[in-house]
Amino acid sequence: MIEVAGLCKTYRVPVRTPGLGGAFRSLFSREVKEVHAVSDLHFRIAAGERVGFLGPNGAGKTTTLKMLSGLLYPTSGTLKVGGFVPQERHPSFLQQITLVMGQKQQLLWDLPAIESFELNRAMYGVELAEFRRTLDELVAMLRAEPLLQKPVRNLSLGERMKCELIAALVHRPSVLFLDEPTIGLDVEMQVQVRQFIAEHNRSTGATVLLTSHYMQDIAALTPRLLIIDQGRLRYDGDLEALSREVAPERRVVIRSMVPQLLPLGFLPQGDGMVATVPAGETNALIQRTLAVAPLVELGVEVPPLEEIIGRVFREGRPRSEA
Amino acid sequence: MRALQADGWSRLTHVARAWPTIQQIAFSGMVAYRAEMIIWVLSATLPLVMLSLWNSAASGGPVGGYDQVDFARYFAVNLIVRQLTGSWIVWELNWNIRKGELSPRLLRPMHPLVFNLCETLAALPFRAGILFPLVGALAAWRPELLFMPSGEALAAFSLSLLLSFVLAWLIQAIFGMLAFWFDQSMGFWSAWFALWSLAAGYFVPLDLFPEGWVDFFRCLPFYATLGAPIDILLGRSAVGANLAFQAGWTLVAGGLATAMWRAGIRRYGAVGA
Repeated sequence: MIEVAGLCKTYRVPVRTPGLGGAFRSLFSREVKEVHAVSDLHFRIAAGERVGFLGPNGAGKTTTLKMLSGLLYPTSGTLKVGGFVPQERHPSFLQQITLVMGQKQQLLWDLPAIESFELNRAMYGVELAEFRRTLDELVAMLRAEPLLQKPVRNLSLGERMKCELIAALVHRPSVLFLDEPTIGLDVEMQVQVRQFIAEHNRSTGATVLLTSHYMQDIAALTPRLLIIDQGRLRYDGDLEALSREVAPERRVVIRSMVPQLLPLGFLPQGDGMVATVPAGETNALIQRTLAVAPLVELGVEVPPLEEIIGRVFREGRPRSEA
Repeated sequence: MRALQADGWSRLTHVARAWPTIQQIAFSGMVAYRAEMIIWVLSATLPLVMLSLWNSAASGGPVGGYDQVDFARYFAVNLIVRQLTGSWIVWELNWNIRKGELSPRLLRPMHPLVFNLCETLAALPFRAGILFPLVGALAAWRPELLFMPSGEALAAFSLSLLLSFVLAWLIQAIFGMLAFWFDQSMGFWSAWFALWSLAAGYFVPLDLFPEGWVDFFRCLPFYATLGAPIDILLGRSAVGANLAFQAGWTLVAGGLATAMWRAGIRRYGAVGA
């Protein structure tokens, strides 16, 4: 469904020193700096996949999504989405995709949200009966019925995001590019949006490429990860494999102090004890522990996703399953 | 219906089907912004101010062949043409390109300029609703300005008005698209507007300029967007030559706008988000 090969995007950004002197100098010599936002990116995504696109700020995630949706022309490389070259913005291509940007909106600010949906129906040429069916489904899934008649300017951020999602999906696109769809939403609204995206993917088979700084979005929605840093792909594979590769250790935690366990590698920590072992040795350690102290209360901790991703960025490991 | 065919006919059919909804929603938008819209439309009533000035100037006798009734007719038609050929695309494109607001429009399967054209046409009933009471008041003040043009003059005026509308819209689009290269294109537009006000016949009929200048100004695109239809309706210039210049400038502007869009969209930075 999505094929990206050798994709590069370089921005030419004007540079000006601050102050009056800088302003005068810029009148006569305009200094321009090249910023390589995306460098030699390669990946493929199959139809119906849900993929998380991760990276620190400025890594090139949004630039890549904008190129995939045809908003930006690549500097070099090739990309195809559903058989189309995105930057040609063929109407049949635009019918297939949608791009939801958490910080940009397509809703008509002073009109009720339903008017934006109607406009999209007309623009995408959706038949009225199909539109009503789709709208009913989307409104029910997002519990958005009370929002339809309100002017967009009177909606809260979370309510607006619900309406953005509806506006983006009324034409039933087969490829969803979601750029920070839960940004600024409260926890409950984030959960609703996640559930909605997962349900939409299940019911329509749409391909989803999602960027987010909330690791819960990634953990809940995208079995496959693309990690990008400084415009380059650092990792392409599933979350489990990344966890095994980057954070291969597990922490076995005991809630009480049992001195007999010290020889097994446990160290005191607070009121309890903890032992760090390779993931493959966890079961063996648990068995040995229970043999020594059968009534002990224990748990196994995996490093949180934030820490795993943080390690990939810090250590810059160019690893890939694909 | 879901898969739109790419050929031109199919795109035209698509626009035609979407048209009523776009019209209705654009009109709803104008109603939502009604106070601002009325002020915008009224801001283009400078011809009425100019009329009062030239009316005073001609109180002692004709000026450059124009008596008070001629001035009243000239500026009444001026007001009508100005209102019916007005658009906001230069401001919209300049803003949308600079702020990245063009992105949502680029994602829809209708060309953003075609969409804007639909919005501009949707504003016409709104503009007419403000315009006709003004013209009515003018006619009540000076009833002798009313006249019945011939059928040929009306037909030629209608064609000329249509060309003026398209040309004025294309020129605004061209200046708006300069934002692809200069980030801020309104300075260029202000310079153009100053020249236009003088050379289009907005402040003063071109007949009042020295003879050599009149012929020169009538060949320029400024005149083709305003003065040409006025003079055609009032029978003050050659119909064929005016229509030919208007058609020629419309083709040039259409070609330039197309080339600028193709080049500019490659530079679009889709900033924000």
